[in-house]
Amino acid sequence: MTPRIWPALALLCIGAVTLGAQAPPAPADNRERDYLSRVRRLTVEGRRAGEGYWSPDGTRLVFQSERDPANPFYQIYTLDFATGDTKRVSPGTGKTTCAFFRPGTDQILFASTHHDPRSLQLQKEELDFRASGKERRYAWDYDPEMDIYAVAESSGTLTRLTTARGYDAEAGYSPDGQWIVFSSMRDAYNRTLTAAEQKQLETDPSYFGEIYIMKADGTDQRRLTTAAGYDGGPFFTTKGDRIVWRRFDEQGLIADIWTMKPDGSDKRQVTAFKAMSWAPYEHPSGEYLLFASNKLGFENFEVFVVDTAGTKEPVRITYSDGFDGLPVPSPDGRQVAFTSSRSGGGAGQIFLAQWNHEAVRTALAAAPPR
Amino acid sequence: MATLLRSRLVPLLTLLAGIAASASAQSAAPPTTRAHVERLASPSMEGRLAGSPGEQQAAQYLVEQLTRMGARPLPGQTSMLSPFTFTAGSKDGGSSITVTRGTTPSTFRSSTEVQALSFSDSAEVSGPVVFAGYGIVVPSSATFGYDSYQGLDVKDRIVVVLRYFPEDADATTRAALARYSDLRYKAQAARQRGAKALVVITGPRSPNAGAVVPMSFDTALAGSGLVAASASGAVAEAIFTALDDKTLEGVQKEFDAGNPHTTGFAIPNLTLTVSARVVREQQTGRNVVAYLPATPAAAASRPWVVIGAHYDHLGRGSAGNSLAAADQAGQIHHGADDNASGTAAVLAIADALARVPRKRHLVVAFWSGEELGLIGSTAFVNAPPVPIAEMAAYLNFDMVGRSTDNKLTVQATGTSPAWPRLLEQANVAAGFDLVLQEDPYQPTDVSSFNGVGVASLAFFTGAHTDYHKPSDTAEKINYDDLDRIAGFAGTIARRLLDADEPPLFTKVEQKTDTGGRAGLRIFTGTIPDYATEVKGLLLGGVIGGGPAEQAGLQKGDIIVELAGQSIANIYDYTYALDLLKIGQPATVVYTRGSARRTTTLTPSARK
Ligand SMILES: [Zn+2]
Repeated sequence: MTPRIWPALALLCIGAVTLGAQAPPAPADNRERDYLSRVRRLTVEGRRAGEGYWSPDGTRLVFQSERDPANPFYQIYTLDFATGDTKRVSPGTGKTTCAFFRPGTDQILFASTHHDPRSLQLQKEELDFRASGKERRYAWDYDPEMDIYAVAESSGTLTRLTTARGYDAEAGYSPDGQWIVFSSMRDAYNRTLTAAEQKQLETDPSYFGEIYIMKADGTDQRRLTTAAGYDGGPFFTTKGDRIVWRRFDEQGLIADIWTMKPDGSDKRQVTAFKAMSWAPYEHPSGEYLLFASNKLGFENFEVFVVDTAGTKEPVRITYSDGFDGLPVPSPDGRQVAFTSSRSGGGAGQIFLAQWNHEAVRTALAAAPPR
Repeated sequence: MATLLRSRLVPLLTLLAGIAASASAQSAAPPTTRAHVERLASPSMEGRLAGSPGEQQAAQYLVEQLTRMGARPLPGQTSMLSPFTFTAGSKDGGSSITVTRGTTPSTFRSSTEVQALSFSDSAEVSGPVVFAGYGIVVPSSATFGYDSYQGLDVKDRIVVVLRYFPEDADATTRAALARYSDLRYKAQAARQRGAKALVVITGPRSPNAGAVVPMSFDTALAGSGLVAASASGAVAEAIFTALDDKTLEGVQKEFDAGNPHTTGFAIPNLTLTVSARVVREQQTGRNVVAYLPATPAAAASRPWVVIGAHYDHLGRGSAGNSLAAADQAGQIHHGADDNASGTAAVLAIADALARVPRKRHLVVAFWSGEELGLIGSTAFVNAPPVPIAEMAAYLNFDMVGRSTDNKLTVQATGTSPAWPRLLEQANVAAGFDLVLQEDPYQPTDVSSFNGVGVASLAFFTGAHTDYHKPSDTAEKINYDDLDRIAGFAGTIARRLLDADEPPLFTKVEQKTDTGGRAGLRIFTGTIPDYATEVKGLLLGGVIGGGPAEQAGLQKGDIIVELAGQSIANIYDYTYALDLLKIGQPATVVYTRGSARRTTTLTPSARK
């Protein structure tokens, strides 16, 4: 589906679930009603949608969706909760992913490949492939052309913030709108690789993914992580004093949630499920993180919460077959947008639910120590 | 376009919300959906059976409501009442069969001995007799073929066949045969081979052995072009005594093995005279159809938007489609959810849209005869007062009063590529847990419009245990959500009225009809939940005292296997019903919560 989301291997297994299984999934288990109420599908149009992130005032969502008949790849849209209107804010050509509202401005950042002169050709090839009736597993390709842009909504002015060779994406602003934390695979291109590393680049470039930080104008780019394996999906916490992200092991099989200070110091591991735990996002209360994990089955991702310090066992939130992930709480902490395959038909769509913060706190308080 | 819509969305929702309020600034507030439902489902409307005085009373109420909101009869019409005639029932007008062996005729004329089939021609014919087994013809395929008429010349003969299908055949064969064992298929096969008449007997080895087929209510009464009757065991006896070497039971046993090479035979020295008399009762039902004209007159040439709901119901359940338990049979079926709820939703939407600018005409339609087979809406699209090409879209509301858990099913979404966006936009504010189904081939009036190529949507809140029973009453309606549904669908209707381009129609291919005919004779007492999509068959309920209840099944169970067949959906389920035998226990595997369980269900005969 997307990168902020899941690494190559996870992508493959999600693809197998979503494209292979045409039968509608079983209805959600009632137990998730302890934490979620009025669960409902928000996006309907298009083949798939995901990665919904709230505007700072909570009145809009920015998300990616395959809904343009002329472009089979994700484009970025805003959705207005008052009117239901959606609007495309990305260029329309090429691939895009991972948008985020810049607090205090009318800018929205996202990653895009539209500067790639092959964009239209790639769109056509993909459309032809789909028209042929063939199917393949869905996979995110970590396109090395992917770079981070910010668009000003009022003027439409697009500013390119990264230019390095290698995939730059999965970006989010700091709460004051002055910094951007993101994931980049540039390390694969800015040094001489060993033969083993070269092979690794060809099979799974996400291995080179590391967390970087830069100023909102794209200057002062600094690397924050150095461990081998895919580091990605970073976000600032609500106060802006830490960064949450997920770190894969070298084999790309096991991922866990980590936090660190914005200067890269004080790295702490929060989960240890021995599974793929990723897509962390802090609840605005600052008390806990929401994330997704396939702890309960390789193809069955569920949303969990864990206390910010990771002292306790995480608490399971969702109970539906298939994919539930990318949980993002609203700025007031009372709703959650997440991506789910629970409506059947294959690909994920964005869902919205009321979030029972008190019940989550109670459950976390009762959780055993890790 | 988007900003225009944005500016108008909120006022409409406000207006719809205002319906529930006691007063509005402009004029007196229209009645609430609750008031509409309580009125339509009141005892004085007597269940609103098409053609009945209760239906006429309901129609009158709808005309008053439409008039109050400023709607008018369609152009060229003087009234909002649009009558149509239909066959309200058939009865036997005194049919008889005379068996003549040698020179001795014996005549059977009692209603327990002879009954015309409801689709029979009324005529008398005589001729020699051919027995054609079960009278089933399955179009041959690479893997299976079955023809009861193989090697038989039935031209100008009277064909005698067994009812149902071979009882002892293996499951696959039964499934294949069951689908072609409907009496209409049998009559068609006999007629196509030049037979003069068809006489159906219920074999001694079959359920209801020796009984005549009761004259069924059948509204699709294009005459079959054949004299067709059912005869009792006594008549069969009189026919088969002409054979020295065979008994009917022995003959049936041979056919029951399902061996396609077992053939029928002529019965010598016998003449049969079949006199069939079918009396069909014609009645008049009334659609109520009006329109709210576009507000800028200049825009009137654009295609119209149609919203509709059927307002008829089952009366006292005499038409054979009631699910009332024996102790409630004959009571008024109030039809609060089915479909006073949809009628109220359409009234609420029309009331709201009557107060806002409209770029297109809005047709507001209330159908009758839906419960008897979509008769009213079919009559409308077959002789449309507005050309079909001038209809931009149709929104249907049938059973929208029983929303639970914030769920709303929207069907027929495959009929236009415009629907996903419209549904998404409108639902951002409405906030329903939408269940979307592309299939427009639904048992409600949306089928009639899809059939003539109009982009359509059907709103539905699901089946329940009061479905088609006297207990479908007004106090069980979820009025808050009914109002929200009206607001949601009203927003979509508003966007359709405002849009520059009407939604494109796309044809959804109809899934092959795997619905078995055996389902017609087998009774399991399950009530499928059509609204919730699950893998398996989700039970919306079970009929009290029926085989499913006796097997311990209950609402919420999901049947995943029946008689060794895995069940992924309703089609698989109806297919598996073909494999069941009346009185023979079948294994049912089902899930309840996370537990997987097994039970035994013994189907009974459908009466
Ligand atoms: Zn009905």
